[in-house]
Amino acid sequence: MTVLSVPHASWTRRPARGGRRVLLAPVTVTPTKPLTPSHLKGLLWTDVLFRATRVVAETGYRYSNTAYHSTEQTLGFWEFLDDAGGDTDYAAMTEEQIGELYVRYWARRQRPSAAALRPYRDAVEHGWVHPASARIQQLWSAHFRRLGLHDPGLSEHQPPGYGLAEVFDHLAVRGLCLDHRAAGGPVYLDLTRAGLPLRQIVTADGQPNYLACALRDLLPLAVEHDEIVLVHDRELDLDYRLLAHVLANAGPIVHRLPIGRVPIEDRVRSARSGDWRGHTVAALIDEVAGAYRPEVFRLGLRLYFIATLGPGQRQSYRLDLLHKSLHRAERLLDAAPAPAPGPLAERLGQHRGSHAHVNPYRLTTGLLARHRHLPSADLLAEVFL
Amino acid sequence: MTAPSTSQQLLARTARERLLAVRPDLDLPDDPVALAGVLAGGRREPGGEPDSVVAVVRRVDIAGWIRGTCVFAHGLAPDRAAAWRRSFTHTVFLAGNPENLGERVRFDHVAEDASAAWHRPAKPRDSIGLRRLLKAFGGEAELPVRPPEVVVVQAGAPSRARPAERDLYLATAGVSCARTLVHLNHLVAEAVLDGLIAAGDRLTVRRVPHLTGSRTPFAALRVDVDPAHPDRLRAFAGLTEEITDARNHCP
Repeated sequence: MTVLSVPHASWTRRPARGGRRVLLAPVTVTPTKPLTPSHLKGLLWTDVLFRATRVVAETGYRYSNTAYHSTEQTLGFWEFLDDAGGDTDYAAMTEEQIGELYVRYWARRQRPSAAALRPYRDAVEHGWVHPASARIQQLWSAHFRRLGLHDPGLSEHQPPGYGLAEVFDHLAVRGLCLDHRAAGGPVYLDLTRAGLPLRQIVTADGQPNYLACALRDLLPLAVEHDEIVLVHDRELDLDYRLLAHVLANAGPIVHRLPIGRVPIEDRVRSARSGDWRGHTVAALIDEVAGAYRPEVFRLGLRLYFIATLGPGQRQSYRLDLLHKSLHRAERLLDAAPAPAPGPLAERLGQHRGSHAHVNPYRLTTGLLARHRHLPSADLLAEVFL
Repeated sequence: MTAPSTSQQLLARTARERLLAVRPDLDLPDDPVALAGVLAGGRREPGGEPDSVVAVVRRVDIAGWIRGTCVFAHGLAPDRAAAWRRSFTHTVFLAGNPENLGERVRFDHVAEDASAAWHRPAKPRDSIGLRRLLKAFGGEAELPVRPPEVVVVQAGAPSRARPAERDLYLATAGVSCARTLVHLNHLVAEAVLDGLIAAGDRLTVRRVPHLTGSRTPFAALRVDVDPAHPDRLRAFAGLTEEITDARNHCP
């Protein structure tokens, strides 16, 4: 593994000279609630994207919970827990129990004051994580192992390379910042020159939103890469268009990979109102994993959440189709593995198109194409298991 | 001429006169409390949507804002100026950077340092693209009190043999930057349209907590409801009569 100058990102082997440096930066899931099928879909897409791309290019996977703890939704939740719950032992709690507290926080409908959040924001800068979120991160790490997901450092302190002041400076010299703090107003990201609407990134009382956090985290990394792939929910499309513009302005080619959520019974659910009840990843693992071999479980999940559901969000989650994918995975793995018809990097290169990263949808649906050969053992081991 | 008093009766009379000068048909109460209630409720144009100017604010620069407002108001074609006057110089303030909008919006005036820009009076539908791109300007901090600052009006060629010298008072206590621009905009734009301010005039901007203490009578006052006391009126900005004797105004 080659470590570049970026601390705490997951780095892979350096390919032949002249290879392009690729950074994968998925939207993170705030560790305040249980993981759901929608989250799992994004994580599986990113995992295949990462593990396939690292074979063909020097690839970084940036997933910093630290960078996004400073958002109001996380800090406000922590402040609420300490204010309402006092001295609580979170170390033995389940995701669902902490998720129920998150539902109570949102039911309060009272925006926390900037003054109340300030000590929490300061503490995050020094590596502190509230024990409730630390517990969630710990539980997710266990899920990651079970699901065969590369852990990009869920529980690691991965501070963003820039502070807010450096973000403002970077944007200001490029005419991309509208700063009304002196008049008691907010700070905006200004891409109106490109026809994109003004977007507030810091409130008048100094609270950054997740877009400001993303800029703190990704702007310093942008200059060190040739290509950045942003994986995000479709609901965040406009914000990620803005982010892509700003990052591309710093040099690299930026691709966006918008991924639809997974509706449950035709409805996209909200974690804030507790709609995850009965539909968590923990429940899915409990319900399904035991019936299959670990490698079948891993491949079957990827076939379902990537190839069957696709990038959109028209299909609701269906347990019967998940089982179908798991059976398909079983057949693929039970068949005699195909001999490798050449180096894996060359074969994966066919799924790159004009860019440096490997398209996870094309690659995964390719496993199911009837006219294709069975997948080779090296491809399965390197990318899907 | 208005005496340099800011009593409620005087403020009510000033506010009434301003509105009736444009719309003599309006039924406005004399009583200050009742008038404050009318002003707080807003005024509706019976003829439909008002003609509004869109002002884009990049940075709050009071002197630059006054200079820009004078040039903009002076440069309006008579029919547009009249339409704007009929809608009480209604203006929408948006946060934005004029330098980033140059290729999309043809502004009628851009401040020299691009701290602000003005788009001619028009129906709201004409500026819908700009409104979608930008956000309402929301500077909630009080304007800091600063030493007096002289603004020389540069709106076309001097039209008077001798430029006038006036003080322009701005109330700062409890008034946000955003509201200050609103008050200043009405006062200055209307003064230009009414011929009170012309090219070459020298305006000394005096930021004070409240508009008390001026020994020069006011030629124009911006009166609105006092947000701290919704049943009261307050003068937020005032333009004095011409100062002919240097000893006759506050230092």
